[in-house]
Amino acid sequence: MTIATSNLNMTQPKSSTPIIVTEKLGKSVATSTGTLQILSGIDLAILTGESVAIVGESGSGKSTLISLLAGLDTPSEGTVNLAGKALTQLNEDGRAAVRNESVGFVFQSFQLISGLTALENVMLPLELRGDKNAKVTASQYLDRVGLAHRLTHTPKQLSGGEQQRVALARAFVTQPAVLFADEPTGNLDSQTGAKIIDLLFALNTENHTTLILVTHDQNLASRCQRTVKLVGGRIG
Amino acid sequence: MNLAKLALRMLWRDGRSGELTILALALLIAVTSSTSITLFASRLQATMTDQAAEFLAADLVITSHADLPEPWLKKSAEFQLNQAQTAEFTSVLMEHDEILLAGIKSVSQAYPLRGHLKSSTTDYLSEHIEAHGPSAGEAWVEKRVLSALKLKLGEPLTVGEKALTVSKIITYEPDKRGDLYSLAPRVMINNQDLAATNVLQPGSHVHYAHQFSGDPTKINQFKQWVKPQLNLAQRIMDVHEDRPELGSALERAERYLGLSSIVVIIISGVAIAMATRRYTERHLDSTAIMRCLGCRQNTVLYLFLAQFIILGLLVSSLGCGFGWLLQEFLFTMLKNLLPQTLGQPSVLALFMGLLTGITVLLGFALPPLLQLRQVTPVRVLRRDLAPLAASGWLVYGIATGLIVTLIWRYTNDLKMTATLFSVGLAVLLGLGFLTRGGLLLARGLLPRMSLNWRFGLQSLLRNNQATTSQILAFTITLVAMALTFVVRNDLLDTWQKQLPDQAPNHFALNLFSDQLPTLQNQMQAQGIKSNAFFPVVRGRLIEINNTPVQQLVSKDTQGESATHRELSLTSTTELPEENTVIKGSWWSAQPQPNQVSVEQKLAESLKIGLGDQLLFVIGGQKLSATVSSIRALRWDTMKPNFYMIFSPNTLAAYPTTYITSFYLPASQKNYLNQLVKSFPAVTILEVDQILQQFKTLLKQLTAAINYVLYFALMAGFTVLFSAIYATLDNRIYESALLRTFGAGRGLLRLTHLIEFGLIGLFSGLLAIIVTEIMLYALYSRVLHITYQPAWQLWVTLPLLSMLAVSLVGSWAVRKVVSVPPIQVLRDS
Repeated sequence: MTIATSNLNMTQPKSSTPIIVTEKLGKSVATSTGTLQILSGIDLAILTGESVAIVGESGSGKSTLISLLAGLDTPSEGTVNLAGKALTQLNEDGRAAVRNESVGFVFQSFQLISGLTALENVMLPLELRGDKNAKVTASQYLDRVGLAHRLTHTPKQLSGGEQQRVALARAFVTQPAVLFADEPTGNLDSQTGAKIIDLLFALNTENHTTLILVTHDQNLASRCQRTVKLVGGRIG
Repeated sequence: MNLAKLALRMLWRDGRSGELTILALALLIAVTSSTSITLFASRLQATMTDQAAEFLAADLVITSHADLPEPWLKKSAEFQLNQAQTAEFTSVLMEHDEILLAGIKSVSQAYPLRGHLKSSTTDYLSEHIEAHGPSAGEAWVEKRVLSALKLKLGEPLTVGEKALTVSKIITYEPDKRGDLYSLAPRVMINNQDLAATNVLQPGSHVHYAHQFSGDPTKINQFKQWVKPQLNLAQRIMDVHEDRPELGSALERAERYLGLSSIVVIIISGVAIAMATRRYTERHLDSTAIMRCLGCRQNTVLYLFLAQFIILGLLVSSLGCGFGWLLQEFLFTMLKNLLPQTLGQPSVLALFMGLLTGITVLLGFALPPLLQLRQVTPVRVLRRDLAPLAASGWLVYGIATGLIVTLIWRYTNDLKMTATLFSVGLAVLLGLGFLTRGGLLLARGLLPRMSLNWRFGLQSLLRNNQATTSQILAFTITLVAMALTFVVRNDLLDTWQKQLPDQAPNHFALNLFSDQLPTLQNQMQAQGIKSNAFFPVVRGRLIEINNTPVQQLVSKDTQGESATHRELSLTSTTELPEENTVIKGSWWSAQPQPNQVSVEQKLAESLKIGLGDQLLFVIGGQKLSATVSSIRALRWDTMKPNFYMIFSPNTLAAYPTTYITSFYLPASQKNYLNQLVKSFPAVTILEVDQILQQFKTLLKQLTAAINYVLYFALMAGFTVLFSAIYATLDNRIYESALLRTFGAGRGLLRLTHLIEFGLIGLFSGLLAIIVTEIMLYALYSRVLHITYQPAWQLWVTLPLLSMLAVSLVGSWAVRKVVSVPPIQVLRDS
């Protein structure tokens, strides 16, 4: 069953419980010319079910912020709390467990595993959880993104839009509490990009997922309930 | 979470997408070649040992001048060993008014325990294999006995007081030795008749051999039990101790096969390391995704390790199967050269093949795999984030430890393992620095180069680390291949020199000086070329620097045995062939008398140095001489060799006989009868049969070693492919980019040729340096062969390496010039 995206309401109710809270979050890296401050003093609270766009120019720290919020990277200062877990107090394995339980990702470059079929790519997060119904569930999700007929195709055999649909199915198949999307339409033409965004929001609404979307497309950002603008590594 | 199932599924998916092909191929070759070499070597060794045991007619022999104590025989029965006895002595036989000094050999019913006798009847054409010696009442004789005593088969021959019937002609006696009893014309009788001959009286000079055969472990246990109880007159012999020339040939061959196993393991290991490196690089992104999806670091490691272990087990099992088939094929190929009864392949070798596969795979693949554990999930956002290198020293330490243990287990030779490992490690470190230094130097040349050369060299410099590891991989492989090749050549050369086609196969002793001109003329007329005639005086060494030698020697040494008997002393003007003065100097044109040159090993054993005074007793007279030189010589040349050579005229006053050696082809064998008739006092020692046995053995070993070399070369070429493929992705991608900017196919082809040619040339140059160092270490420490630089390799190795790497490399990247660049970029 494919979702009819055009008739869906793109907003969903948010609760008053924050699912992500950051305090004085900062990230710096050492370079040959000294310390480079990428992010500093980020205080942010994102509510459950909320959709938030993170916007800013290239180099403003968007990707760094998303990597800290999702527990992919560790901050140099400050704290991050995701789904009730203090990420900054967890080690790498602890953060991995949080990601596995609560987080989904969609990337600009799709990040599908080239040797695996569409179905296997979507099955992977379920398999990592030890889900015995991985195949059935993954097939259902691929059906929902309109790729029921492409299950056995590898990424090379799929178009960019189809690859991103697979990525969407993979992101939602574990029904994550939070979905991070990093420039999900960056590698797609505008028409295909628009369809993907419709699908993303539709699945988001259906799954009651909190959406954190990194983009520098103002139109896209405006479809979210809130926009956070980064300027020079700070919330502007 | 059923991770094992997931690992299996991932393995299947990787296998399906071709990610594992090169890795599996490298492992398959490693296991196939190491298993087949191990199986082949162990089986060949068993066959050769069986054959060498045939030379003893047993697995273990104790020689003595009397019967063995009863408890020893009881003990051997406890070990369930088979027993046989022989007694050898000389006796004068007289028939039809002819007299002959014969070497009588009385054998028990079970003789021979290993090998077999061969006999013929009157036609001499057909040989019969005899499982056992003559029955009671029979005598088997060599052909010469019949002609010398004018006897025919079926006629009686009286040995001592016992009349026996001559029933067969002996054409082959497995344990025929090079001593006086064996080399006098043979008459073989049954032990049951021995007492009746009444030849042996108290004090008779008899040489008893007590032979044992059975399970190798039990033989060894019995040997260890009996050895401490031997008295001075008793000697224990097994394959290695029996015949030094045979023992050393076998030992060298065993060591060579051992070395080849190591070479193939190392070469394959390098191939696996290179293939895993590529595998790892191609899995960085997917690992980052898995980490991003919540996969823990240890889970990542577990998943990949489990995949590798499953892959290792599957491929190793297949490799073991192939190895088995291959050694069967080899034995079929060698069928004509090998004895009819072959040793059985060892099942343990198959298990070792499996273990080798897993160990080599994990040992070499673990370091790159551990890198996957370190992949950061942020890589999904920033692809440039490469994982930290795994804690190198510890990991490589474990890998190296594993490999060293394996090599040691393979060779059972701690010395060889230590030599190879320490030299190899030092050389590897040195090479790493040299390669880095060479690349740095090359950077300085860039501005002065043409576009092709600049592109080629820049590509190498850009991927500095990959280039270094690739050059190191090629170097190690080339060294291994060159070592296998050179050692094989030198080994065969040494054997060939040891036994040239017309090596002397007869000795003539007890010649008098007035007989020499006649004998020389007679030999010349027969077309027989003799070697130099050496004067021989029998004497005993009794004092060194006024101290009795008995106080200076320790038991069971060469010196100890040399002081218990009379030595053959000689004097010459010229230094004999195959002798080299290693200390002091050979005498001048006008030598002083009473100088002596001492053989090196005896000098070491007796601690004799230059200027020492040696006192000899010769026929009741004392002779003192000063040591003026120490000589090294080869005992296996089948020419007369001497422990002591005196300066000319020193021995002139003593009764002297002469000795020489000569080559007599089988067709002229009857000349011996004429020789003995013309010079009745002469003693002829026939060593042709022993030489023939030895030559056959060397031929078999040579064939075996050739096949082993082909294995090593085959494994080497696999590395070439896998190492080139290991860094191929990057090269193809960069070349495709260049093509999009308008670089022509010709430019790219030439650039690749230059790039790979440089890698090949540099690897070849490094390899030849390392090969020479390793050869020196191996020859002087392990194989005991004279080291000589392999000059021809200094040119051929770098050139061949350049040619091979550039050809294979250019072939591997042909895709980039044959398909549209956009397809390459999309696939990448």
